[in-house]
Amino acid sequence: MSGPHGAGDVIDGRYEIRSDVGEGGMQFVYAAHDKLIGRMVALKTPKNKSATKRFKRSAIVAAKVNHPNVAKTLDYVRDGTNRYLIEELIEGSDLQDALLHRSGCLDPYSAAKVFHHLAKGVAAAHHAGVVHRDLKPTNVMVVGGYSLNEIKITDFGIAKMANEELIEAAEGGTSTMTTSQTAVGALPYMAPEAIETPRAVGSAADVWSVGAMMFHLLSGAPPFGTGLAAVRRILDGTPPPTPAFLTANPQFASLAKELMDVALQCLQKNPDDRPMADEIVTLCGMLCYSIEPRAEGVIRRIDYGAYGFIETEGPDVFFHTSSVYGPRLVQVGANVIFASYDGGGARRAHPVVVVDAPQA
Amino acid sequence: MRTLPARYQPSGPTVHGGMSSVAFCMDKVLERPVAVKFLQATTHRRRMDDELAALLKMRSKHVVQIYDLCKFSDNYIGIIQEFIDGKDLFESFAPPNGIDGYYRQLWQIASGISDIHAVDVIHRDIKPNNVKIDPEGVIKIFDFGLARDAGPAAATVGFVGTPGFAAPELYATAAKFTSAIDVYAFGATSLFMATGDLTPELKAIPPAPLPTGYFGAIRIPTGKNGTALSAEVVRLLDACLAKNPNDRPAITEVRDALARHLLFDRHQALVVFRGSPSYLNAANRAIALRFGTVGSVDIAYDGLKFAVTAASGEVYINNRPVATGYQLPGCCVVALGSPARRNNERVFITFDVSHPEIVV
Repeated sequence: MSGPHGAGDVIDGRYEIRSDVGEGGMQFVYAAHDKLIGRMVALKTPKNKSATKRFKRSAIVAAKVNHPNVAKTLDYVRDGTNRYLIEELIEGSDLQDALLHRSGCLDPYSAAKVFHHLAKGVAAAHHAGVVHRDLKPTNVMVVGGYSLNEIKITDFGIAKMANEELIEAAEGGTSTMTTSQTAVGALPYMAPEAIETPRAVGSAADVWSVGAMMFHLLSGAPPFGTGLAAVRRILDGTPPPTPAFLTANPQFASLAKELMDVALQCLQKNPDDRPMADEIVTLCGMLCYSIEPRAEGVIRRIDYGAYGFIETEGPDVFFHTSSVYGPRLVQVGANVIFASYDGGGARRAHPVVVVDAPQA
Repeated sequence: MRTLPARYQPSGPTVHGGMSSVAFCMDKVLERPVAVKFLQATTHRRRMDDELAALLKMRSKHVVQIYDLCKFSDNYIGIIQEFIDGKDLFESFAPPNGIDGYYRQLWQIASGISDIHAVDVIHRDIKPNNVKIDPEGVIKIFDFGLARDAGPAAATVGFVGTPGFAAPELYATAAKFTSAIDVYAFGATSLFMATGDLTPELKAIPPAPLPTGYFGAIRIPTGKNGTALSAEVVRLLDACLAKNPNDRPAITEVRDALARHLLFDRHQALVVFRGSPSYLNAANRAIALRFGTVGSVDIAYDGLKFAVTAASGEVYINNRPVATGYQLPGCCVVALGSPARRNNERVFITFDVSHPEIVV
């Protein structure tokens, strides 16, 4: 367990720490049992004690947003000199760990679902007058892994704190930009105005970040790269090139193009030229995409480079190589994520995405 | 006696209902409004506690969230709940916004009741007054009849439910009820949502059966003439109001049917043959696939599903020989030519079915 607490610690006579569920740039996060109500919750506490005042503000900001695609704020308590935000416990992991870490990109159906739900959550926040300011894959929680049972944006309030650090980093120029851990993680998804004029950032910056995440989900990499080089490219305003594989396969081309078009609209340099979150919701609401649960398997064989079978925990699943989306070559032994449909002799997989082997 | 923790500052008068009262308060810690429901623990305290525990653990987009609990010395409890800024469906009745708007509302209510029944709780008082639409358009069910009892005590603690929405079995002297009372109340709520009133039969005490096929005569205002409900929805809503609880459908069945009809005429099939895509949808409902004298198949879209309308020769879908009536399983491959032939004597057409996702 990292941070100030260990299992068994009781906060405010009510929240009993059970386990450590990771840490963000600004805070420690624990799973705790609410002894009064008898349910599990997420308990967050700032890493930096001097940030406690802003932490309270951030809790209040987060509590304003009430939507199924936003993690729900339940309580805020102080215990001694510590401050705690109590949030609904999302039993999953963040978009980076859950999805991108192993696959780099998602098939366009899955990407569409993430896009739609992200836009919904961001739109609800914007309706409540709340701007996230720090949207990035590690602030998006996913339940059910590649099946995407639930998608929830988190750390709305924290973003405001992170923003202070981001402003310091941005105003300190590129050297602080690359040493601030918070800034490094956020940078590939940061709108140009968040870098140039960080104190005057509005809701359009969130739209930019959603667009950058979408670009990443579809193409396998953030639109303007990472690190210092990204800053120059983000500020330059030249639209990033989209990889050819997006539209190479007629089974995916149309949806991938529709999604990428919206993502590129979000990535326009001038904030006024970007769509509102509501407009993205409307666009996503018209898209057709399948939302079948995903399963995982290993390619057992490929015949004539055209079709083959995937070894799974159950019976083997048939696939065509034309169902594979993404830049990675499908080969025997590769780990894949897929949806499957009824078929004679074997179920048939579609779409199929090659991923890294799970880490032991 | 009943002093709320100081963080909850009353912001209006307390509203008294039959078995409970509700106070609207400002949570000064998180600076947001909350609704506090005071409830007297009854002789069935243990069951009430069990149900409350179930509700606290339940996660539903369509049921108000409980934030906190207070217990008072006079055997009352206070349930601190999210405050929904909006009117209830009774106060704010307006003719449905087309058939889609009507289905969408009913689907959300049915989803909420399904979530409640999934944790073995019966709401006991489903009615338009206990359903609100939040500012994001999400429908939320509130005001559980937790303190209301079934069984012999019913006569002394008062009537269970609300006349007009209460199922006939609740009028028996020793009323024993099941989750089917919520299904009945959902049926009555659906009727109210369509017309803004209940029929004399439903208002009778106890209620009399509706004329057979009542929902079939309902027209949802759209354009000049209004739209009839689909036959399947009519059948299910009529059955919700069946006198015999055993004749009512499970709420999940109603929910799933409404979801299907929400997507009526909104599905799409992407058909790719030799690299060129074409679409089947509401505007282009049928396709004929032919391969010389080897095999041919006609596939048509009826607004809900894609199915084979004619087949001759060797026609396989996902490796399964098919005949007229076969419903296509989401994403699949149509092969003309039997697997006994060499690959160059067969043609393959991919057929990927998808639809917009209903996101609230």
